[in-house]
Amino acid sequence: MPSQTRTLLERRYAALGVMLIAPTVVVFCSVIVYPLLSAIYLSFFSIFTPTLEGDFVGLGNYTELLQTEVFWSSLGTTLIWTVGTLTLQILFGVGMALVLHQNIWFRSLARSLILFPYFISTVVAVLVWKWLFNDLYGIMNHFLISIGFIDFPMDYLGTMPNALISVILVGAWKYFPFVVIAVLARLQTIPDALYEAAKIDGAGPIARFFDVTLPQLRDVLVVIILLRAIWDFKEFDLIFLLTGGGPLRDTQTLPLLVYQEAFALNDMGKASAYAVVMMAIMLVFMLIYIRRTRTEDGS
Amino acid sequence: MTKTNDIAKGISRRTALKGLAVTTAMAATPFTAARAQSDVTLRWWSPQAAPAQVEAYQLQISQFEAMNPGIKVQFETTSDEGYAPQLAAAFSSGEVPDIVTHLPSFAVQSYYANGLVEPFNDVIEAIGADDYFPGANDVFRAADGNYCGTGIGNSAANMLWLRKDLMQEAGIDGAPETWDELRAAVQAMQTGGLFGAPLPYGRNSMTSLIFIGFIHQAGGQVFTPDLEVALDNDGTRNALEFYREMREYCPPGATNYSWGESLTAFVSGATATGIYTGRVLANVRDQNPSIADHVTCVRYPRVSTDVAPWTFNDFPSVFIPAQSQNIDAAKQFAAFLFNPEGYIKQLHAAPGHVLPVLRSINENPMYQDNDIILKYSAEVELMAESAAGGFNLGYESADHVSNEKAGEIIGSNVISDLVQKVVINGDNVDTALSEASQTIESIMAG
Repeated sequence: MPSQTRTLLERRYAALGVMLIAPTVVVFCSVIVYPLLSAIYLSFFSIFTPTLEGDFVGLGNYTELLQTEVFWSSLGTTLIWTVGTLTLQILFGVGMALVLHQNIWFRSLARSLILFPYFISTVVAVLVWKWLFNDLYGIMNHFLISIGFIDFPMDYLGTMPNALISVILVGAWKYFPFVVIAVLARLQTIPDALYEAAKIDGAGPIARFFDVTLPQLRDVLVVIILLRAIWDFKEFDLIFLLTGGGPLRDTQTLPLLVYQEAFALNDMGKASAYAVVMMAIMLVFMLIYIRRTRTEDGS
Repeated sequence: MTKTNDIAKGISRRTALKGLAVTTAMAATPFTAARAQSDVTLRWWSPQAAPAQVEAYQLQISQFEAMNPGIKVQFETTSDEGYAPQLAAAFSSGEVPDIVTHLPSFAVQSYYANGLVEPFNDVIEAIGADDYFPGANDVFRAADGNYCGTGIGNSAANMLWLRKDLMQEAGIDGAPETWDELRAAVQAMQTGGLFGAPLPYGRNSMTSLIFIGFIHQAGGQVFTPDLEVALDNDGTRNALEFYREMREYCPPGATNYSWGESLTAFVSGATATGIYTGRVLANVRDQNPSIADHVTCVRYPRVSTDVAPWTFNDFPSVFIPAQSQNIDAAKQFAAFLFNPEGYIKQLHAAPGHVLPVLRSINENPMYQDNDIILKYSAEVELMAESAAGGFNLGYESADHVSNEKAGEIIGSNVISDLVQKVVINGDNVDTALSEASQTIESIMAG
């Protein structure tokens, strides 16, 4: 009897477990697994986007994309954008977090305001920056001309390398508050005793930063870098709205290429192939992230 | 002023009444099945959504809803640069709008060729086929003989806008007719802080569409009449050369210009010339009235007077997606859009920008009675005449077969890329033309 009762209980627990996890599984399958499998499936076809009708081409889309110059140039631009904007986000973010960690006036207000770029809509942010960059009325040109730095308005978004630099800078401005939030939270948990010990040992501010603060931030920075690398790699709206991928294809990243194939050239199959390749690249970042977080959990 | 008043006086009461009668009769359309429907909501998409235009649409919607209880119309904005992806997504998901207006004719032809658009013959009949300007619907005739849509207006999108005061100051006697004259004029008018022209050099549809005009103004073409790719020709080479020469007379940011930036540059007074539709007039009135008395327009110059002018008309359309669940109601609403009161209010929302396609409306005293149409009667007349004989990539000339791939060619940016390669990068013209031709051929083959 006791063993039978346990079995029944176990069965009930098992059933309860299945019931509790079922919604998560259903949602996961609906929003992750199905679109993923659908994209992989579509990538084997040549499909006209508006009708979703087309022919099976096997690996044709993949062999074609690997041979096209536009894929490699877009991949290169994506990597430059990701590394460039991420580096600036980390530098600005850590720097600003250190400032906001000090006992400065209006610290609470400053901590709130610093989040502003991250919270406003990308469309609004881009409109504001396009206005600032405007060749005829933009304050950037007006200021630089007024101080005599330039004689003629600069073209920030229509020529290289200005366009790529501008996009990277705007991206850094938009997303560095994420780094500030995460780093600031970690800074507040570093024991004061470590700094006091370093001071007793004769460490100055710079030495304290490199010997105490930075090692303490290392774990959180690794996670931030991995997360932001994934998010920046697939960034679409900010670049699309600022330059549309131009001039020529000099700021065209892989997400913009996917968009153009799918909706301007109406080739959903090839767009899916690009998207699958993008996913494979991001998978590397994700695997590192998962391994990293598991290691942290284990330790 | 005098001329317009004369035109208005020249319209007889009988003509005006006839026009009103014909167009008002459209309210009694044959799509009676829709009237039995209840709780229908029509989704209406348009990229033309300036506040005054939306206000006019709301008037049309409220009048239609009052006449058709049970049918609601919901207006949704799309954009000139964004409609193609939005519609592609809509078609593929099946969540289509019930009626779409103001998209270029070649987009409608492309959708119709893929079975995505409802034939429009009965709507044209309901509006009154005889009331259209001659040939106004030719651009919408599909390969199967049906009409895939109709024009909700005409537009002359590449008019050369001029400042008479600046011309006078620069000692320029007459409006330029040739490229040499245009170059000399913008050179003379360009001074510190004032640029010559706001030509677009961005990687976008405006650059493509405008540059196709330059190809034709040089006597070239993108396709032969039977749609063989013919981009690599002397006309295109001359157009590229001239477009490159004009770069120094354009603002530095023109490398990223599209419609909005180009329009604003002229209206704000930052450039001495402009290239746009008649929307310039309303914007000058509202945003920079100090130049309103000095603004005029002519057809865009060409390489020589031996070449005929070529006006870019995107033939703003009305069409109904075949997947719509409310086709009868949508057809009824489509016909109602041409009802005089609402249609005229819609045209007046952007006077000179969208020009009437119906003769009765053009002759209607209500239409003529508008401050901008009265003030700029010569310009509006010229635009109407130019637009009526206008073309676009889907309809390069009267001899050309309708090009169903025009939308994809514009969407691919292959033409604007060609411009950027030659003008901004200074790439070899032969190589750039060869690459562009190959890309277009692959799109045509696909």
